[in-house]
Amino acid sequence: MSTTTTAPTTVPEFRAAGTDLSERRRSGVSCGPIIDLDAGPDMRRIDWITDGSVRIGALTSIAAIASDRRIAQAYPGITAAAQGLATPQIRQLATVGGNLAQRSRCWYYRNPQIACLKKGGSDCPARTGNHLYHVAFDLGPCVAPHPSTMAMALLAYDAGVTTNYRRGLSISDLLGDGSNGGVDNLLGPGERIERIELPAPLAGERAVYKRAISRTYAEWPLVEICVRAVMSGGSFQQVRICAGGIAPVPLRLTACEAALLGKPADAETIAQAATLATSGAKPLPMTGYKLDLLTGLVRDVVERVAA
Amino acid sequence: MSTMTINGRVEVLPDDPDALLIDVVRDQLKLTGTKLVCGAGVCGACTVLVDGAPVASCLMPARAAAGKSVTSVEGIGAAGLHPVQKAFMAHDALQCGFCTPGFIVEAAAFCDAWRASRGTAVPSREEIGAALSGHLCRCGAYDGIYRAVADACAGRFDGDNVVAPRIEARDKVTGAAKYTVDIHHDGQLEGVILRSREAHARIGALDLAPARALPGVAAVSLLGDDNIVRYVGQPIAAVAAKDRRSALAALAAIKVDYARLPAVIGLDAGRKADAPVVFDKASRKRAGNVSEGAGGPAPWKQNVRGPTTVFAHRASKARSLVDEARQANSRLLVEGTFRTGTQQHACLEPHAAVARFDGDRLTVHASSQWVFHLKEQIAKRFKLDHDKIRVIADHVGGGFGSKGGLGAESIAAIELAREAKAPVRVAYDRHEELSVAGYRPAAELKVALLPSEQGALKALSVTAHADTGAAISSTIAGLARLIYPAEAKDLSDFDVISNLPPGAPFRGPGGPPMAFALEQAVDEAALRLGVDPIALRKRWDPDPNRQRLYDWAAGLEVWRKRPSAQSGRYRRGVGVASGYWLYLWQPKVKVEVAVKGGRIVASTATQDIGTGTRSVIAEAVAREFDLEPADIEVRIGDSSLPEGPGSGGSRVTASVLPPTLLAVRKLKAAILEQATRKPAPGSNAPWRELIARAPDIAVTETRGEDSKNTAPGIRSPLREVGFIGIIFGWMMRRFSNIVIGAGVPSSVQVIEVEVDTWLGHVRVLSVHTGLAVGKVAAPVLAHSQACGAVIQGLGYALYEARELDPRSGDVLTGGMEDYRIPGIADTPAIDVHFDEAGFDHVLGNSVGIGEVATVPTSPAVANAIRDAIGVRLTEIPIRPDRILAALNGRAAA
Repeated sequence: MSTTTTAPTTVPEFRAAGTDLSERRRSGVSCGPIIDLDAGPDMRRIDWITDGSVRIGALTSIAAIASDRRIAQAYPGITAAAQGLATPQIRQLATVGGNLAQRSRCWYYRNPQIACLKKGGSDCPARTGNHLYHVAFDLGPCVAPHPSTMAMALLAYDAGVTTNYRRGLSISDLLGDGSNGGVDNLLGPGERIERIELPAPLAGERAVYKRAISRTYAEWPLVEICVRAVMSGGSFQQVRICAGGIAPVPLRLTACEAALLGKPADAETIAQAATLATSGAKPLPMTGYKLDLLTGLVRDVVERVAA
Repeated sequence: MSTMTINGRVEVLPDDPDALLIDVVRDQLKLTGTKLVCGAGVCGACTVLVDGAPVASCLMPARAAAGKSVTSVEGIGAAGLHPVQKAFMAHDALQCGFCTPGFIVEAAAFCDAWRASRGTAVPSREEIGAALSGHLCRCGAYDGIYRAVADACAGRFDGDNVVAPRIEARDKVTGAAKYTVDIHHDGQLEGVILRSREAHARIGALDLAPARALPGVAAVSLLGDDNIVRYVGQPIAAVAAKDRRSALAALAAIKVDYARLPAVIGLDAGRKADAPVVFDKASRKRAGNVSEGAGGPAPWKQNVRGPTTVFAHRASKARSLVDEARQANSRLLVEGTFRTGTQQHACLEPHAAVARFDGDRLTVHASSQWVFHLKEQIAKRFKLDHDKIRVIADHVGGGFGSKGGLGAESIAAIELAREAKAPVRVAYDRHEELSVAGYRPAAELKVALLPSEQGALKALSVTAHADTGAAISSTIAGLARLIYPAEAKDLSDFDVISNLPPGAPFRGPGGPPMAFALEQAVDEAALRLGVDPIALRKRWDPDPNRQRLYDWAAGLEVWRKRPSAQSGRYRRGVGVASGYWLYLWQPKVKVEVAVKGGRIVASTATQDIGTGTRSVIAEAVAREFDLEPADIEVRIGDSSLPEGPGSGGSRVTASVLPPTLLAVRKLKAAILEQATRKPAPGSNAPWRELIARAPDIAVTETRGEDSKNTAPGIRSPLREVGFIGIIFGWMMRRFSNIVIGAGVPSSVQVIEVEVDTWLGHVRVLSVHTGLAVGKVAAPVLAHSQACGAVIQGLGYALYEARELDPRSGDVLTGGMEDYRIPGIADTPAIDVHFDEAGFDHVLGNSVGIGEVATVPTSPAVANAIRDAIGVRLTEIPIRPDRILAALNGRAAA
């Protein structure tokens, strides 16, 4: 492991509310110029379109999303994710755009004295070091899980992202597939998120969001899941399951979805499907437990959404 | 130029894009009620209202406050206390008080919003827990906070009258209380410490000149004379400049030449025969100390110091009994290896000192647990006269054992103040606080416990290896001598030294890890013998204080009606564990009780680290004079007062109350003797009248010996240990200024948990804590401390562990989001039972609570989990990964 400090980046960073950036400024991980985003009313608007879809300005606060009744009705998984992340005092400030574009919470990345891929270093010190809270799906050179709960929930809703340069980006377009360990997202230089678009909800759909943590609140998820479903006659007519905390990007658990689609929502079917959540997993030496958690959490949230 | 309105006043905001709202509030406007703790939005101590909504001011850019209305704690209830403030005072919803302003701001906003929409309905624990989930309290005042918020919302504190059992409570709920980090002298500089980047290195050259060349910068070396650094984070140098940013820039200019030496990290590597040696023979005195007293001699080979076996009893007999039982495959022999995590003190007020020279006089404000001793240590190190030094600690934001001595923060502040000829503040940042400020060492304990066929305890063997880093003197196994007498006990303690920061004393040093292992072994023995675990303890443990507590515990409904084995997703279980701590007191402690200007003033150079010392003294004196505690002025936190005890070893109450009571007796006699006029006949406040008219009189008394007349079965625990115990006691008195008194402060806890077998989550449903610590000196505060000790114990059992990079020893859990202490919503209902007998031989009949009350919590949790899921968890913290591994029969990471 290299212990030399990397040269401080001088690339300007955008600042929304600063709830991530301020901590990195204080520690010295970030020391280049800052460009404050203009929090004009357009950037904080929630606009409903006649087709039932919604556009959320990138600087809309997490608290505003968490308390919006219409969002809760149409996209309960978004509401629950917004209510479950960070702390009330952070949700009050933090924005949805900032949540998507936040940097890794890896304890090596956050230590200004330790070099890592995301700070221009040549290797990942967590991979060969202490990675207790890191990925169980080892998809790239960096083993830190993506920190954005909103990205995971928005992936479940097929959200689109518009930036000042591009429109109609999917969450995968925005965050990549984890193969570039040097970044947390694929925004280009000078590119910033302007708004999020959520397609109209399906008729009768419901959703559950939950994170597995050791305490009751205010902890980065060991594993988190957002599940959407449309139930019909006790069976899954539609189902979408996305997971966070386990991979460098939020993941869609397609094998679980396939095992549930069209099947009756009984405990046995759900338990069987949940075991497929770990399809494709590649845990690290210290993260095998996340697979048990993932299976347990899928079972939990799918039972709830079907109930 | 942009502005904000704060507490009704318009203030200019700085242009600096890096200025955060907290910097403006604390540094520019000197509104120091708002506290900086984690710097990451985790703990909530910095919470202010922005346009009425609580936000983390440590993360909010100052320029984002432009045009907004900000309210800090000083603005809450500025026109009269807010109901939440009164409720916090009345319910004693605080201890050290450092987190309190943040809680007050958040709770006031919650209460106002609740009242606006719900009237005087009472919010549930769940609603309060969710609303306050962004706040952390290290003392564990959550039990009182729940009650305070519920009652404030219910409208029970709308009136004007408020009675505060903690006499400084008003200062703490309004943000007026000044802690060391809040001290600001004119011309004060900010000091920061340059720390080693290497786990083990010889510093070839240290060039301070580039830092000193910067304008207004002072720099000093902190290197030892061997120029060796032995852990990442060891102090190398310190600089002071006009503000933190300038100081950090100066720090970066210092040139350090490291010649790297081979390093060894942690318990397993440190024990290897070929491991690099951390302290060669000549440098062993540089090692730190993790115990509260001076350590005795012990063998020391390479990085392993031990065994220390002074508390063993017929050790070879114990070994042969265990060996025989093992060879015979005895079903009664309980054997196991238990591991405990490294627990950080995580004081919310960091280690901090502000040093100022006025001519040859030195004043040091320090976040210290022992102002009197700190003065002596400073005098010795800096070769100054004792009477030229004053150490002040009005309020201390938590200590838990880590602030008992002269630390790098004080040394750096004093050296820099001398060099710069200006006052200097040094306050650790959160990463320093969570890495190099001390910790309870992790330990590995091998236990063998052998009952006899008749069900008595025959032999006990405990071997403990403690992960002490660059420190020594751990006693864990030895503590198993003073509970559960057996035919033979083989007790060995080892320190395993490695290139990690030195451990430090932490609340009952050695007690919690010993109990975690031993109390689980006893639990396992009860299962094998088919005996009720409380009944077995009652049989094996003759201590009269605990005998009464066992009877109390056995009668608890939660124990009598504990559920039978379950197989569903959620499984409940109930566990019991026992614990003790020594009754310690400090000789030569003096308390002055005086009439000054018609008021009673009690003075001693002790300090209140949240334990309630001011109130203990005030209540005792008030009771004697039939006054209210608020009528008594208590002067502490100043080394120039008569010699007072350190706030460690649970010794303060038992050290200060006896001389206080003696002084009161003499003062009463003096007042009566000098009274020119008798109180009015039938007066219901005769002393109030007498005191008001009395001339100034002062009486100082010294802590004397306890009465030799003790209740049956109550004697010094050292007597159980025979001659070696007497020697040990003499050494403690001679070298550590501590007396081990007769009688054993004890705790028995019964804890109920629910385990989610899918997600590995443990929910603690209820805790019953029984305590025998004599007569409770200040009942409301004692209740707070008992609850706080349990909550800290739950953190130890379930959440808290330092994590390291295995190669460098770099502490990775340097932030509060990664070092996880319990939050309010993790707090169960806690039932506190005080058994007030057992200490009649102590004047005032009271001994300390702080340590004993946290000892049994982790094993009681583990025993409850065993009861719930049928698997024993032998390693703490019992995180979800460990529960899942145990259920699946796998080894955890």
